[in-house]
Amino acid sequence: MRRRRASDWSYSIVLGMLAALGFTILVGPVVIVLLTSFTEGRSIKFPPSGLSLQWYRLLFDPVRSSQIHRAAMNSLEVALIAMASATVLATLAAVGLARRRGAWVRAVDTFFMSPMILPMLAFGLAALMYFTFMGFRPSLALIAVGHVVVISPLVLRTTAASLSQLDPALLESSASLGAGWLYTFRRVTLPVIAPGIAAGAFLAFVASLDNVPVSLFLAGPRSDMLPIRIGLRRADRDGAGADAGDGAGGRPHATLAWMTLMRQP
Amino acid sequence: MTTATAEIAAPAARRWSAALRPAEWQLVLPLALAYAAFFLVPLVLLILVSFFDDEKITTMGGAQWTKFLGDRFTWKVIADTLKLGVFTVAATSLIGVPVALVYLGASARWQGVILFVVILPLLTSVVVRTFAWIVILGREGVINQTVLWLGLSPAPLRLLQTEHGLVIALTQIEMPLLLLPLLSVMSRMDPNLRDASSALGASKWRTLFRVTLPLSLPGLVAGCMLVFASSTTAFISQLVIGGNRLVYLPLLIWQQSLVVYNWPLASAAALTLLVSVGLGVAAIAAVGRRGHAWALR
Amino acid sequence: MTHGQVTRRQFLAGTTVAVGALALGRPAHAKGSVTAAMYPGTWEEAFRMHVAPALKSAHDVDLEMTPLFAVDQIAKAQAARGAPPFDAFVLDPGPRVTGIDRGLYEKFDAKRLTNLGRLSAGMTDEWGVTIAAQVVGIGYNPKKLPKPKAWTDLLKDPWVSRLGMTGFQTTYGTVSIIEIAKQYGGSETNVEPFFTEIKKVLSKVAAIGAPASMPALFQQGQCDITYTNTQTVATLRGRGVDIEFVKPESGAVSFYTTMHVAKGSKEIENAYKYFDTVISAPVQTALMQPPNNFIPVNREVKLARDLPMQSLDEMAKFVHHDWAKINPLRAGWIERFNKEVAK
Repeated sequence: MRRRRASDWSYSIVLGMLAALGFTILVGPVVIVLLTSFTEGRSIKFPPSGLSLQWYRLLFDPVRSSQIHRAAMNSLEVALIAMASATVLATLAAVGLARRRGAWVRAVDTFFMSPMILPMLAFGLAALMYFTFMGFRPSLALIAVGHVVVISPLVLRTTAASLSQLDPALLESSASLGAGWLYTFRRVTLPVIAPGIAAGAFLAFVASLDNVPVSLFLAGPRSDMLPIRIGLRRADRDGAGADAGDGAGGRPHATLAWMTLMRQP
Repeated sequence: MTTATAEIAAPAARRWSAALRPAEWQLVLPLALAYAAFFLVPLVLLILVSFFDDEKITTMGGAQWTKFLGDRFTWKVIADTLKLGVFTVAATSLIGVPVALVYLGASARWQGVILFVVILPLLTSVVVRTFAWIVILGREGVINQTVLWLGLSPAPLRLLQTEHGLVIALTQIEMPLLLLPLLSVMSRMDPNLRDASSALGASKWRTLFRVTLPLSLPGLVAGCMLVFASSTTAFISQLVIGGNRLVYLPLLIWQQSLVVYNWPLASAAALTLLVSVGLGVAAIAAVGRRGHAWALR
Repeated sequence: MTHGQVTRRQFLAGTTVAVGALALGRPAHAKGSVTAAMYPGTWEEAFRMHVAPALKSAHDVDLEMTPLFAVDQIAKAQAARGAPPFDAFVLDPGPRVTGIDRGLYEKFDAKRLTNLGRLSAGMTDEWGVTIAAQVVGIGYNPKKLPKPKAWTDLLKDPWVSRLGMTGFQTTYGTVSIIEIAKQYGGSETNVEPFFTEIKKVLSKVAAIGAPASMPALFQQGQCDITYTNTQTVATLRGRGVDIEFVKPESGAVSFYTTMHVAKGSKEIENAYKYFDTVISAPVQTALMQPPNNFIPVNREVKLARDLPMQSLDEMAKFVHHDWAKINPLRAGWIERFNKEVAK
């Protein structure tokens, strides 16, 4: 009895400490970004020299930040369309693959993951070559298509994981009771996999908002995207920098104010 | 595939009723077609380009592949890239699973708060997150100020532009990718199973390793796959936090495609990354399947 | 009404909509407009503020800008060969030479510029026109370090342990490394001495990183000295950062930013009007003022006091490089840099 109590103590201590570390790591950088965004200085220095709302005022200024606002609307539009399409396509595919076993299913599954692994810079350039060859000019629509491809794996993975929680016996009994496929899907499958779909859709939405490489190469003159508009891509004209692999996006004001600050000469 | 052919061949009436329940391949079809049209073709293009010997893409041959794979440095870079993925997966799992367990034991209101904390890193952009880590890990950064103040070290530690620093930063950056699939699976887990385990006298550790983890394994595996794929290809974080002292495959691809414009070599490097990381992801999936089968036995 | 068919029908409908959207998405070139690739940040803001209105009032041409770095412009134009996604390039020497090599520009006719006579000699060639200059030297934090004198000081104490270094990815990084190599007996085509010297001090170097992250590393005190250009120094100073520009003893390095017409452009006429506006004296003067800090090329512009020269003719005495010779060697240098610097 005493030994068990000791082991339960060790469980609580070890996991408690790891979880505390986890929360610190998750929250710490965000707090720093938030504090820095309230700086009264003109450079990104932590700790900030003093506090002010100047960057937020600039950010929400309809004239001085009109470019940012336009880019934000473009990004939001693309992210919503791409997320919706990817969620539908990938959820259907995940349901289709869920109960299959065998080598070819695994192969298809790995293939569906590959847009996430293929460097987006390479995909962006190759997609631009291909679309140009097909006679399309870069535009917002092309960006959306590109995003659907690179964000679908996120939905597929999370949904597939939730599907493993689904008891096949439930599906069979539902079918044997005469329920149609759609009814079974709605009443049995969907409730189980909904958290997975939601998680995947959220990750996909964020991935689209944050994407630089695909947007960069598929953007036309009027398709300005937020992460391209406000990246860390200033001061350096050759652009030999950190702009090609990931992206800068901005959702809550803290991020955006910070970005505005970086952008400001 | 046999179901597919049978279905097409079936008489109209039978198809009518059979189609009430769409065949599995039909559900996969839309995504497969979208990928075929918009991903497979560019991919094939990359494969083609990689088999040209010259930068201007005029003469076919395998010279770039021989050059790229014949260089020992390439193999070191591949190994380092995969190692980075493994370290990041290990670190996010070690810290992410306890966070998920806290979530599991929390009240509904606290679960909402924890979920918000988990997605916090996603609410700031990759670049901003990365720069926050410069502020934390830098020579005059938060950690070093603390270390110096506590007198733990006479001089600032070098954290930025080291592998340790990069893994720490990636742990935060990639954590949501691990936790969201894990939490979505855990939240559907039957709580009675864990209660039964404790009631039967199992220690908390035993319940964790014999009940909770095996049941949430699909979520953990999915999360690990996403973290591995994302961290090995996270170019900005690798470059800004890692610096040029750490060379990973995405840097080589970027240099070849956008600085020296050797697209055949860039394609070869991109395909190498795709294959090596793809194998890593497949390996994680295989371990997951084994583990799941073992847990259900 | 079966689910299988619905899926397929919906998919077909979806595809049709997608393809239709793609077709609609083609930008319709309005009459009287030109699409220019533009460096994001300071450059794009300055051009929006000064060039776009001037072009509109002088020629009734709308300026559309697509924010792209030099390297991205070349990549994008090469991938979209035959259907250029923009009409005009703005480039530094390295990418410029690549563009010539890959045939990405229309031939340039300098006589079509009305402001041609106001430029110094040699500012145009058969491929394009110079619109700004760049002067590269050493930027350091005077509160933390004594003033460095020469390029070689970068590799000596106390500077080396505070040095932030970038590789051959950028034009300014490449020319700086070449200059360091020259002080140790190297040349424009031989940077071997640099590698020999850097190896001795590599473990001391404070940061080796992405050029774009250098300003942030500098501001956060991760490094206190780096090679950079006057524009970056002036911009950072304007934001209250402790940084000062030093012209090395062996001379500062200078190179030019040029503009080119994209091969296959449908707006060639307007592209020339755009170039002409950019090099006109009023625009060049406006671009030189803070917070833009450009170095002008129009001889009628009265130079700002904080520039590292009194007249444009003085720039001829600065160190220049032949990028046609450098570019072919760059791939090898980059590879070498990776291997030497990586642990």
